[in-house]
Amino acid sequence: MIKVKNLTRKFEDITAVENISFDIGESEIFGFLGPNGAGKTTTIRMLSTIISPTSGSINIDNRDTKSGGEHIRSIIGLLTESPGLYEKISAYANLDYFSSFYDITPERRRKNIEKYLKMFGLWERKDDLAGTYSKGMKQKLALSRALVHEPKILFLDEPTAGLDPESAYMVRNFIESLKKEKTTVFLCTHNLEEASNLSDRVCIIKRKIIRIATLDELQNSSENKIVEIIFKDKAEKYIKLLEEINELKDIKIDDNKATVAIEKPETSNPEIIKKLTVNGAQILYFNEVKATLEEIYLGLIKDEEAK
Amino acid sequence: MKKAAIIFKKEIKEVIKNKNIWLSTLIIITIFSIVMPAGLILGSESILDDEDTANFINKAFGIVDEPLKVLIGFILKQLLLLLLFIPAMVSSLIAPSSVIMEKENNTLEPLLATPIGASELLLGKTLTAIIPSLVITTISFIILTVVVDITAFIKLGYLPLPNLEWVIVAFILSPILSFIITMISIIVSSRSTDIRSAQGIGSTIILPIYLIIGLQLAGFFLLSITYLLVGCLVLLAVCPFVLKIAVKVFDRENIITKWKMKA
Repeated sequence: MIKVKNLTRKFEDITAVENISFDIGESEIFGFLGPNGAGKTTTIRMLSTIISPTSGSINIDNRDTKSGGEHIRSIIGLLTESPGLYEKISAYANLDYFSSFYDITPERRRKNIEKYLKMFGLWERKDDLAGTYSKGMKQKLALSRALVHEPKILFLDEPTAGLDPESAYMVRNFIESLKKEKTTVFLCTHNLEEASNLSDRVCIIKRKIIRIATLDELQNSSENKIVEIIFKDKAEKYIKLLEEINELKDIKIDDNKATVAIEKPETSNPEIIKKLTVNGAQILYFNEVKATLEEIYLGLIKDEEAK
Repeated sequence: MKKAAIIFKKEIKEVIKNKNIWLSTLIIITIFSIVMPAGLILGSESILDDEDTANFINKAFGIVDEPLKVLIGFILKQLLLLLLFIPAMVSSLIAPSSVIMEKENNTLEPLLATPIGASELLLGKTLTAIIPSLVITTISFIILTVVVDITAFIKLGYLPLPNLEWVIVAFILSPILSFIITMISIIVSSRSTDIRSAQGIGSTIILPIYLIIGLQLAGFFLLSITYLLVGCLVLLAVCPFVLKIAVKVFDRENIITKWKMKA
């Protein structure tokens, strides 16, 4: 659905995005993660044909962005970082205005406006000026605007920012449900738990792409596995013993729990257990702990900064 | 064109609701189309009693049989030029508010992500400023004609308007001026986040018109159809340049990367 090849965007002397390439399939939810200034918004703007690349190519729905801009814009929906609504006209008029630029019948437009306003709990206040809406309501209205013409591809920049937990949960469930409708979602978020729960794959970017993978691949590709050892008594008792074992790194002690990073656990684990038990440690549990996306993300960004 | 019409339809509703625009327009129409012509024509006899005015008429027109008729004719030339203030003001009030409203609401990015073309967006904004300007100008010229004809008929028993100069100013010069001011206002608005500074440009552009009026009053020259047509041609020649700049300013990429936005 989206093919990006060697994409670079410069703003005078500043390179916002450098030589990035990725493919996104139909109905895939693609998490796009990176710190502020990493080039996320610039990438979304290039993909939605608002700005053009300095070099490289973007192909969306088999059309190149250079020549097929109008077609591409007709099949995408964009939720920008700020809601961007006309504050002096009603919520309904906002949706009606934006949706009138798409090739859909007035009847379908009306139905869709009603569908999304009801879905996001805004129908009762459809005639109120958008300027009178709360931050969360504006965000939901902006999301409705991105969806009202039934786009094949949805670009979401921080979709749950400013939403209360209940609304954020509802929006997440909705994003997940878009898969069934074969909608491709490009999800830009700082909420790593959200990205982890929703995304089929994540792309971590800091001007250049650092990693593209599924969460499983990211967790398994980590060089060090995190292992949690639960002792029968205080873990502090065994700290010296743990420190003597070469295979263990980043030892953290908390009550009767020791969390350690182990290189090559397949070969090291039996040895470690043996050494601990021989020296009198009583182990209740010995579990591998999967690193969270947040831990992986922070590690990758830290490594990138160290380069 | 359909998408430009959608923009025009939405924005014209907001223009109609904007009391500031209507109030300013109403005041200007009342002054330039009613109060000034009625006052000047009805008081023309007392103006003529002034020795300086009589000397001015002798100097500009020589010895004339009907000095009052000549004076009214001269006043009308100034009034026609003064009425150009209306298309200039209306365009310079509407065009910047239409552009800066998009900046204030942060709506340019979501708007540019729709299938609309940047040229359609420019056309929609231009129509929003030019159409009300032309409608209001035409109404003003009609009111001026009625007021002038009634007062002149009372004074001298004749109907001086409409004449060819009136037609040129109302239907050729005014639309051209309105177009130029709309384009310049749009260009200025792209670089401004303050509506008042962007609107101020209209009153700056109109300054040469006051210069022409001043030169006439000083007796340097007298406006004629030839001068008006030359003026139209000069302004017409300016149109492609301002259009070209406005189209460049309204490029999708420029809007996002170069326009000055609200923080």
